[in-house]
Amino acid sequence: MGQGASGGLNRQGGLPGDRKQDGGDKKDKKYEPAAPPARVGRKQRKQKGPEAAARLPTVTPLSKCKLRLLKLERIKDYLLMEEEFVSNQERLKPQEEKNEEDRSKVDDLRGSPMSVGNLEELIDENHAIVSSSVGPEYYVGILSFVDKDQLEPGCAILMHNKVLSVVGLLQDEVDPMVSVMKVEKAPLESYADIGGLDAQIQEIKEAVELPLTHPELYEDIGIKPPKGVILYGEPGTGKTLLAKAVANSTSATFLRVVGSELIQKYLGDGPKLVRELFRVADDLSPSIVFIDEIDAIGTKRYDAHSGGEREIQRTMLELLNQLDGFDSRGDVKVILATNRIESLDPALLRPGRIDRKIEFPLPDIKTRRRIFQIHTSRMTLADDVNLEEFVMTKDEFSGADIKAICTEAGLLALRERRMKVTHVDFKKAKEKVMFKKKEGVPEGLYM
Amino acid sequence: MSPDPNSSSAGGGTREEASTKVPSKDPKKKKDEKKEEDLSDEDIALKQQLELYVERAQDADPGVQKLALESMRQEIRTSTSSMTSVPKPLKFLRPHYGTLKAYYETMGDSDLKKLLADILSVLALTMSAEGERDSLKYRLLGSEGDIGSWGHEYVRNLAGEIAQEYGKRQSEEAPIDDLMELVQQIVAFHMKHNAEPEAVDLLMEVEDLDLLVEHVDSTNFKRTCLYLTSSARYLPGPDDILVLDIAYMIDLKFEEFTNALQIALFLDNMQYVKQIFTTCDDLLRKKQFCYMLARHGTAFELDDEMVADDDDREALQDIINNTKLSEGYLNLARDIEVMEAKSPEDIYKAHLLDGRASAGASVDSARQNLAATFVNAFVNAGFCQDKLMTVPSESSSGGSSGNWLFKNKEHGKTSAAASLGMILLWDVDAGLAQIDKYFHSNDNHVIAGALLGVGIVNCGIKNDCDPALALLADYIGKEDASIRIGAIMGLGLAYAGAQNEQIRSKLSPILGDAKAPLDVIAFTAISLGLIYVGSCNEEVAQAIIFALMDRSESELGEPLTRLLPLGLGLLYLGKQESVEATAEVSKTFNEKIRKYCDMTLLSCAYAGTGNVLKVQNLLGHCAQHLEKGETHQGPAVLGIAMVAMAEELGLDMAIRSLEHLLQYGEQNIRRAVPLALGLLCISNPKVNVMDTLSRLSHDTDSDVAMAAVMSLGLIGAGTNNARIAGMLRNLSSYYYKDASLLFSVRIAQGLVHLGKGLLTLNPYHSERFLLSPTALAGIITLLHACLDMKTIILGKYHYVLYFLVLAMQPRMLMTVDENLKPLPVPVRVGQAVDVVGQAGRPKTITGFQTHTTPVLLAAGDRAELATEKYIPLSPILEGFVILKENPEYREDQ
Repeated sequence: MGQGASGGLNRQGGLPGDRKQDGGDKKDKKYEPAAPPARVGRKQRKQKGPEAAARLPTVTPLSKCKLRLLKLERIKDYLLMEEEFVSNQERLKPQEEKNEEDRSKVDDLRGSPMSVGNLEELIDENHAIVSSSVGPEYYVGILSFVDKDQLEPGCAILMHNKVLSVVGLLQDEVDPMVSVMKVEKAPLESYADIGGLDAQIQEIKEAVELPLTHPELYEDIGIKPPKGVILYGEPGTGKTLLAKAVANSTSATFLRVVGSELIQKYLGDGPKLVRELFRVADDLSPSIVFIDEIDAIGTKRYDAHSGGEREIQRTMLELLNQLDGFDSRGDVKVILATNRIESLDPALLRPGRIDRKIEFPLPDIKTRRRIFQIHTSRMTLADDVNLEEFVMTKDEFSGADIKAICTEAGLLALRERRMKVTHVDFKKAKEKVMFKKKEGVPEGLYM
Repeated sequence: MSPDPNSSSAGGGTREEASTKVPSKDPKKKKDEKKEEDLSDEDIALKQQLELYVERAQDADPGVQKLALESMRQEIRTSTSSMTSVPKPLKFLRPHYGTLKAYYETMGDSDLKKLLADILSVLALTMSAEGERDSLKYRLLGSEGDIGSWGHEYVRNLAGEIAQEYGKRQSEEAPIDDLMELVQQIVAFHMKHNAEPEAVDLLMEVEDLDLLVEHVDSTNFKRTCLYLTSSARYLPGPDDILVLDIAYMIDLKFEEFTNALQIALFLDNMQYVKQIFTTCDDLLRKKQFCYMLARHGTAFELDDEMVADDDDREALQDIINNTKLSEGYLNLARDIEVMEAKSPEDIYKAHLLDGRASAGASVDSARQNLAATFVNAFVNAGFCQDKLMTVPSESSSGGSSGNWLFKNKEHGKTSAAASLGMILLWDVDAGLAQIDKYFHSNDNHVIAGALLGVGIVNCGIKNDCDPALALLADYIGKEDASIRIGAIMGLGLAYAGAQNEQIRSKLSPILGDAKAPLDVIAFTAISLGLIYVGSCNEEVAQAIIFALMDRSESELGEPLTRLLPLGLGLLYLGKQESVEATAEVSKTFNEKIRKYCDMTLLSCAYAGTGNVLKVQNLLGHCAQHLEKGETHQGPAVLGIAMVAMAEELGLDMAIRSLEHLLQYGEQNIRRAVPLALGLLCISNPKVNVMDTLSRLSHDTDSDVAMAAVMSLGLIGAGTNNARIAGMLRNLSSYYYKDASLLFSVRIAQGLVHLGKGLLTLNPYHSERFLLSPTALAGIITLLHACLDMKTIILGKYHYVLYFLVLAMQPRMLMTVDENLKPLPVPVRVGQAVDVVGQAGRPKTITGFQTHTTPVLLAAGDRAELATEKYIPLSPILEGFVILKENPEYREDQ
């Protein structure tokens, strides 16, 4: 089968200059449109990671039952067999060396250094038009070892430094803006650091954590788990703190953004960022996206006069689409936080986008006591300190105010070089804090 | 927390106490201290209250005791638990668990003691250490009140402990009556609360599924049966049979006869089928059963016990005999407007390629014409008209159909004549009339083709006057080998699965005939295998075994010899252990064929069972690296696919395993892998498999490439899949100079457009539940032939391609009214969703579109009626479905 052999050679030598004209049976000098026909159209987004083919089949039903166990065991059996087979083969016929050899060959072909360019257009299976940051565009070949399924117009590629053929592609194309949003180190605050807010904690757990950890519970009942929650309430009532606690306790990817970060200088950048954000969340799922101060972009729509306002509204529209748009998001949960829920666009809050609205009220007496306890637990207090007095006061404190009082009292004690914080310190601190809160109107002046 | 290690009797008692104490004591102390300050007022109050109850419960006065226990119970029952945390009363009672336990031991027998036992049982839910089963112990000691009153979580926990306890008692052979009583309660509770899977799981654990029949009712039996049937696939034998039996019984109890029939067919239990026919007294339903039997391809005779009236019986038998299949199929074709015959050029679509390929196509015109013959046959299968064989004679100069026939050389004429049978598939009367003219030809090849054609026309159809047998029988003993093969193969196709004694007595002597050439013997073995597929018939097996033993050393080396073990294997298709005796015998064969025979028998016997151990065994054989000349790894690879194709998971995982085989395997394994992939995804073009095959179709080894091309055709068979069609078109230009590869590309193109996209080759039907043995047999015969493509298909035995006809079935949903006339109704067709074990009535299809019947169903599709006006008599809308008017239907105004 001379043809078969030459076909194979053809395939290996995808490199244009590398092809030998062998044998007499090659009458046509024209390049043959060889090589495996690969996919058409856009790159398959859904395939997460390079191991898409190696992915395991999904197992239904999701609820815990014997059928599921049996199915999972069946998969395990097959995997064990695979393992046995592969380890046997490795023992008989080590592939490592061969791979190593192949790799060095590939490295030779690639050459060094490689220049980074941009793929402009795919012409056919083996050719493309590329451009580098400087200079003109080139029509070049694509080497056979480049994964053509991953190529798509516009992606960053590696080119050979002389012949400029495509020798590789740069995989990581996540917007650096988005990658900084990922919380790498879990915050230190945990649920234990939250005073009170029991109901709120439970709600957020049910809406955000449980769907990720125990999806079968929802399946059992036959409902779709909520997609997202909004936390709202007075400033300083612990919205962000609760989000931190969620981030602390979950093993899911946690992405956090502040609403204002989504406002960008150039037209279209904001919506693009939102898209990227949710794409990354989807790629890294299960994940939780936390958008703080959502009122920065989520205010009610109105006739905007400036381009800037319009842009902000467009950013919100993109967000609306991402929350409950055409493409379904799997394991991505969204937490929004604001202290001005009444100014938010109703479309943002409709069920299906944000299913749960969790209010954070000002702390009541019990909660206030808890918060005082949390904050003073590490302070050295004098014996005369009577926290009950502050707990029972009629003034409206938020959690943040209480923290401020405690800190202020500590500072006062420091100022006087005392090792213990006294009741008087607390009193002064409270007045100071309340004074600042009432915007300079001393307490009790007009009341 | 200061419980004294109670003086519980068992030796394990003290040990377990120690083990609970060590982890629990210290952390708890700390936690307790911390908790003191954490608790809110109500919680503290509750805690004190409970402590008081505990105190009181140990009071001497029974009145006080009773009150305390009652209120404790009240607290526990009324507490609402969230999903995330332990209910508060339980949490606060934790420290006192030991105390109460100790006190319980000291109590005298009384109602109070039982009351306390109840409470302890609930407390043990959160308290008892792994493997202690306290909850169960106290439950058994307690009052046997309503089990559901303590909530689902409690019942669930109890069920788990029962399963453990049962295992233990089973090994000790202790009595289990008390457990079973509890099981009764729990099952009743679960079945009432939409938790059928849990009830079934528990009963499976305690090996008493019979209980289920009492507890199902009309609201939940469907879900229960669905769960049972889908579990059966994954249960090891003999549990699976048991489970299916129970499902069958439940279906019978609720008169869900169609489901029961499915299970009966799955079990291959004709007794059950009979029972269904005798129990059901609705003629219309029986007609539906007959349609199902016909689709499955079982030969089944009705007797007057099943259907009393003679006329009715005849009508029903007609349905089973598939006599109306051709009519229905043509109806579908007319409805979809694809009656227009297509020529091979319409399929090749050469104009879409750049000019070169078509220009240089005349490398081997005989081969090209042969390919065109097959493409023409596949594409126009069953349409009764085409552009090569059946064109009326005046359209071209002189004897048109003969015209095309004689464009083929020698053995090519056999396939050409037989292709007429394919075109007239299922239409026995017209088919025999048209083929008849070839019988008078003086060319032996043409006669052979005509004989084969008769077999093809009759494939899957039974006729009372047995025209195939009458026509073919005379030719079996003819001198010419090709005529004999034509007749023998024709009989095999026409009577596949029929287990016809008469044919056996005609064919078996050929196997023992020392003068018969090898190819005749090989095809005889296959035909006998097909006729007796899955029957474990001893006599046929003996005949084939002797034929194998009689072969000389050199004959065993011939590629066609591989059909002999295959014929033997087909006898045991899917019959599992029954093969063992024969497998023993095969060990005495000549070593050239021994292993090949071994692998073939093993893979056939366990085909469609999903048996993991067998897959492992076969994989083990593939793991060896052999010296040259051994061929048994090919059937082993095919065997993996045959065994694993039973269920979706195994199918996906087998595809993964095959990837590894490709990576590590030697050439003979690599050649079989594409074929195995083709079998796994037959008529179901999965994208990842398509990509793999497309990669392999450019392999340097032409055998691998050919196998991959054929498999591309198989996975796309009857789908008109544009992507595969495009790939094959490109391949046809890529291989335009290589005649044999081009031939396989052409065949694959024909397969992709099989029946213009109205047919499927998938042996699985009825929502992938049932496996039609004859269909599978046809496919694996072809695949085994493909293992040595060059000598068989590219040689002079290309007509083995016609074995595929056994698997051809229209992939349609045709709704008919009570008089079996087509009835167009709107249906929704969409991707099937797995709804096993889901509560309520979940959607069964997703992404659906509404069409009017008849419609085509692709792989993985499911249909449901979009109108309330009719009630389908079968829950599975596939093939022919009879609709009944819904008496409760009201027209919307």
